[in-house]
Amino acid sequence: MDRSWLPATRSRAPLARFALWLLPWVALLAVGVYAAGRCLVRGLNQTNMDNRFVFGLWIFLDLAIIALGAGAFVSGVLVYLLKRDEVKDVIGTALVVGFACYSGAIFALMVDVGQPLRAWFTFWHPNPHSMLAEITFCLTCYLGVLAIEYVPLVLRHRRARSASPLLVFQFELHHLMVVLAAVGAFLSFFHQGSLGGLFGVLRGRPFAFREGFAVWPTTFFLFVLSAVATGPAFLILITRLASAITGKRLVRQRTVDFLGRLSAWLLIAYAGVKSLDTLVWLNRTTPASGFHPYEFYSQPPFGGWILLTEIVALALVPGLILLGEARRRSTPWLLTGAALACAGVTLNRFVLTIQTLALPTLPVDHLLLYVPSWQEVATFAAIVAYGVILYSLSYRYLPLFPHEEELAAAPPVRATGAGPRPPREARHAA
Amino acid sequence: MLPELFSPLGDPVRTAFLGAFYVVACSLAVTVGLALLRARRDLRAGRADAIRWREEFDDLPEARRRCRHAASGRMPGRVCPNGFDCRGCEMHQALLASLPAAGPAAASDGGDILGFDLPRSRAYHRGHTWVEVLEDGTARVGLDDFGARLVGKPDEVTLPAPGTTLRANGPGWGLRRGRARVRVLSPLDGKVVETGGPDRGWYLRLAPSGDGWDLRHLLRDGEVRPWMLREVENLQSRLNGAGARASLADGGTPMPDFPEACPQADWEGIWREAFLDP
Repeated sequence: MDRSWLPATRSRAPLARFALWLLPWVALLAVGVYAAGRCLVRGLNQTNMDNRFVFGLWIFLDLAIIALGAGAFVSGVLVYLLKRDEVKDVIGTALVVGFACYSGAIFALMVDVGQPLRAWFTFWHPNPHSMLAEITFCLTCYLGVLAIEYVPLVLRHRRARSASPLLVFQFELHHLMVVLAAVGAFLSFFHQGSLGGLFGVLRGRPFAFREGFAVWPTTFFLFVLSAVATGPAFLILITRLASAITGKRLVRQRTVDFLGRLSAWLLIAYAGVKSLDTLVWLNRTTPASGFHPYEFYSQPPFGGWILLTEIVALALVPGLILLGEARRRSTPWLLTGAALACAGVTLNRFVLTIQTLALPTLPVDHLLLYVPSWQEVATFAAIVAYGVILYSLSYRYLPLFPHEEELAAAPPVRATGAGPRPPREARHAA
Repeated sequence: MLPELFSPLGDPVRTAFLGAFYVVACSLAVTVGLALLRARRDLRAGRADAIRWREEFDDLPEARRRCRHAASGRMPGRVCPNGFDCRGCEMHQALLASLPAAGPAAASDGGDILGFDLPRSRAYHRGHTWVEVLEDGTARVGLDDFGARLVGKPDEVTLPAPGTTLRANGPGWGLRRGRARVRVLSPLDGKVVETGGPDRGWYLRLAPSGDGWDLRHLLRDGEVRPWMLREVENLQSRLNGAGARASLADGGTPMPDFPEACPQADWEGIWREAFLDP
């Protein structure tokens, strides 16, 4: 039915099956939009946040998806500035995922902050002493960058391309992509960092407070590093899931190898730097604040296990998994490594938002428990559903994977996706 | 009235810090504006067709972007960097110069190739069109036998009006059968002087734009056979999953109308691949 809208030489599922796939996500989106509408109309009394627990599920979601969406700027830098051609395989996916993540994050912020019609106040009367001002500016500008980068992808649709002005505009815009990649890298570096810095400067929250360099606490740099490390892993995860759902190979193994290796080294570096930062915090920063580190980890369910899980199980282990060539060629290992890396950055953002606020800071305080309301959960789910719908539509109608046809014509890979390892000489020759 | 950023009381650090973001916003606007201006310039200079082909060529699978010398085995695996326009390709000229002068062609080098009639007097474009230069200096253009059988009997043919200037690798004419549409690439630069159609065996008669015809980008003689073998192989692989009957290479001749013989296949997809219209 929609044959004339599909990429001509690529096979796609029948429209009915595609509609069936979209149906639950659209339902989830509808419920979420209703819940968000209630929050906007009736206020934050619809949530379980309060004056003590000011950051809840939405801010945690924002931090997590912004970190996961870092693949967009990482791949932009790799393709347009460092000329790594193999990353072109996933640049379309990176753009769509980045755009979905950032637009979803800004939607969540809009519901959280409220009064969206007054959003322009932030830009007209900014408070430059707040890291939030930097975050707001960077996020908005970077969403603009992603939107502009998304335009050529949309204009590559065969219907749009039949109109010469759109085709030529797309062509010229694509040639200026290097500017957008550079601007995107600048903005991403600062807002990823500022999101971490936001917590690191909280002197009143010794669990989050960190020392640092000049005005930047160490969390600024850790956030940047963890996002850059996880972005490629998230791209691997998304493209492999898309492959599993569509039953097609979409990305060349050399691309997966490159992204996996990049992610692995960065994750190992992150685990090292994070360990160092934690040791300084445990032995110097926290005692100087008048606390004993044990106090932070004696409040169930937030025990010491959470720290070990974050650094070892969800940073070092996925790094080691993705480092091995044989494991990168095995789909179960690859997916495990990528999923653990993504879980790691998510747990890190959870710890900094939820655990920071839950822990008591005064002797009269007690551990706060926060359970999100259904409106918060529904809004959260709507953003996930929106991402899935946007990616599904983009995959179906746009040329997202440049080597899809060649890989479809190539001989099938083994069930593990590993394939026989070529001899060393052949690998070198390749 | 003014934003606090530009307030005269604002300190320089604050202005510099926030000004950086306004510079970023401006650079985004300038980038888009520049793209618009350059697009306008391209459209006015008539570069839209060339850009279209460049984009479409880049979208073709690597296997379909192979250099003519890859098909003939001289440079295996080489991908064409020039959008099938060998007229400016130094590699092509160098290879031609290094080849021995063409002797008498083998019997299999032209005419009947796997049951397709591809006369040696014609030159072939990889978008399945042929070119035949006539004595009066004009050139006839038509669909080659493979392309003609691939389309069968079109329901509609959209031909350019006489007087229209066509460019090699630009849109030549359009075909529609049922709901499937495809555009056929023009194999030559030239001006349309007469139009034909499927019943006349040719579609366009062109007059050269310049001094004469430059056919260096078209396939001839021994290059046609390996190219056609590849095309047939590709068609077979596309039809394999489309319910085509199992067949043996027993020397039979191709059907005159492929879509009629195998209606369940995705003919629009096959056409677009064969006619280089991704």
